[in-house]
Amino acid sequence: MLGLAGEASSLRFDVRTGRREIQTIVDIPHLRLEGELLALAGPSGSGKSTLLYLLSGLLVPSAGSVAWAGANLAAMGESARDRWRRQNAGFVFQNFHLIEELSPLDNVLTPGWFSSVSVKGLHDRAGALLDRFGVPRYRKRVSLLSRGERQRVAIARALLFDPKVVFADEPTASLDGGSGARVVAALRDLAEVERKTVVVATHDPALLAVASRVIALDHGGIVAPKAVEPAE
Amino acid sequence: MNPLPIVWASLSRNRFTALLFVGLIALAVALGVAISAQERALRLGSARAADRFDLIVAAPGSQTDVLLSVVYLDPTAVELLSPEMTASVLAGERADFAAPIGFGDSQGGDPVVGTTAGFVDHLSGGLAEGRAFTVINEAVVGALSPHAVGEELSISHGNADGAGGNADDAAEAHEHDHHAHKGEGGHGEEAGHGHEANGHVQEAHSHEGEESHDHEGEGAHEEPDGRDRGEAGHHHQAVTVVGRMKPTGTPWDRAIVVPIEYSWSVHGLGTGHADGDIRIGPPFDAEKLPGVPAIVVKPENLAAAYGLRDRYRTIASTAFFPAEVLVDLYAVMGNVARIMAALTLAAQVLVVAAILAGILALLDLQRQRFAVLRALGAPRGFVFATVWLYVAGLIAAGALIGLPLGWAFAGAVTRLVSSETGMAMQATLGLTELALVGALLGLGLLLALIPAAMIYRQPVAEALRG
Repeated sequence: MLGLAGEASSLRFDVRTGRREIQTIVDIPHLRLEGELLALAGPSGSGKSTLLYLLSGLLVPSAGSVAWAGANLAAMGESARDRWRRQNAGFVFQNFHLIEELSPLDNVLTPGWFSSVSVKGLHDRAGALLDRFGVPRYRKRVSLLSRGERQRVAIARALLFDPKVVFADEPTASLDGGSGARVVAALRDLAEVERKTVVVATHDPALLAVASRVIALDHGGIVAPKAVEPAE
Repeated sequence: MNPLPIVWASLSRNRFTALLFVGLIALAVALGVAISAQERALRLGSARAADRFDLIVAAPGSQTDVLLSVVYLDPTAVELLSPEMTASVLAGERADFAAPIGFGDSQGGDPVVGTTAGFVDHLSGGLAEGRAFTVINEAVVGALSPHAVGEELSISHGNADGAGGNADDAAEAHEHDHHAHKGEGGHGEEAGHGHEANGHVQEAHSHEGEESHDHEGEGAHEEPDGRDRGEAGHHHQAVTVVGRMKPTGTPWDRAIVVPIEYSWSVHGLGTGHADGDIRIGPPFDAEKLPGVPAIVVKPENLAAAYGLRDRYRTIASTAFFPAEVLVDLYAVMGNVARIMAALTLAAQVLVVAAILAGILALLDLQRQRFAVLRALGAPRGFVFATVWLYVAGLIAAGALIGLPLGWAFAGAVTRLVSSETGMAMQATLGLTELALVGALLGLGLLLALIPAAMIYRQPVAEALRG
């Protein structure tokens, strides 16, 4: 399945920090997104996570629009944005955010429970995803897995419904080199092999190196858009 | 949607805290259920016990005392009906029967009651074993009595082995008795005291019928200071057990029932029959009748019941239906029970509120988990349902465990009280208990909406960073 084309225009996100003070966290005039591995880079506080949340509809911009294939997340209500994410997006976090008490398989199946009572029909798909990322299916609890394995469970979970867009917030920041490399490879494959749109917020050089495009952010603005040729 | 796997995961995350919460709720619920069920068991048991005692006629005084003495065989100080009144009531006009009840003696801690064979038959609905007494020194025992048919029992006069105040009463009465003995041979005047019985059938009477009065403890008897209170009273002519009653569900199940003539005779009051007449049971000789503490009358119909009650409400006597007295007692008991119920309900609500606060703290620790679910595309309704089910599950589990637990508590207490009193009681779960649990459950399910709404409203992005 091909990635989804997206476009952010005049995107601004403000936070009220005092009675009269408003701080602008993100201010992006224009950003185009399509089937690629797009890296949002920058130091802590540069606004890259906030931008990721804006692009995924977890935050609503103060101004501007985030449109994915014509669907403007900024204009949608909360439940419509939930539905959009459920249907189009997968999410990977720095600290995995798995449900520790559940098995790897059940963790991958979690998004299935949002919309249906039984996830029987998804078992094969979930199992195949775990196999693909080299994670044992039937450990009793994911807390028994290594950190690298846990992040790969999280990626499998993000892919349960074969989304067109995958968002990843510092996906390698809490992994050691070896585990990080497998995650980097997995994300790269999603973009290059499966042609999904993958948006990552990261400052990991290994991940930045494989990105097709790096958006460097500082103080909420784009510093130097840098196009990187896919390493083929 | 299916939030149950997430609910289960969240519960097992804090397994011990969850179990503790469930346990606390269960105990609070059990307490309320037990009090409510126990109170009803006591009420129904005592009412059922009084069923066969249609109309009770006694000397003027406390109807409650008479009721406790006649039905529950808990002897209290009651006056005696005058012989004239006794004769009049026992004549049995407009009644199926009128049976004298004499209480106050005991045998090895069990009450000895004097009455008629007819009343035994009425109370027990036929005997379970053996036959009714036909001569003065025969007895019928209650269903739970340890004595076997054929056994010979020696009866203590008085209730000296009874508990607490009764023993004192008995000793006091004896003292009085002894003074009377010392004073003079004849007791003609003293017989006037016969109308005052301290929890006994006729104390302090002349011992004219001495030949039927087998005082084994005569030495102690002569002690004027009444220090014989430790003795098991006087011993009388032995009686032979000839029958056993069916279970009546009353304290009579522990009793030894003797002919009323025996009671009269051991107290030196004659037999209520003409001299030389060894027949027992009604009709009695009006001329020879002594007084009795109480008479149970079974009126021939409803009109007669009210008619007789009114007729025997005189200066010399009182008459009442046990239900009347029980209703008054229940009113008092009910007030106490209501206060208890209100207190336990308040305690339950406090427990649930405290637990809710604990749950809020627990859920706060899991804020991020719910934010993650939202980021993965979970609808807000899914998160709301997850939190609600989590909280409601804890409360419902506590309530549902508490219900049978309370029942078991009430059952244990009831068995204890039953074995103490011989009064058949059964703790059952009724609508009251179900309503109590239902109310708490409903309240809990409503209160569970609070954390659900709080988590539901939290901004996802903030909680994700949290």
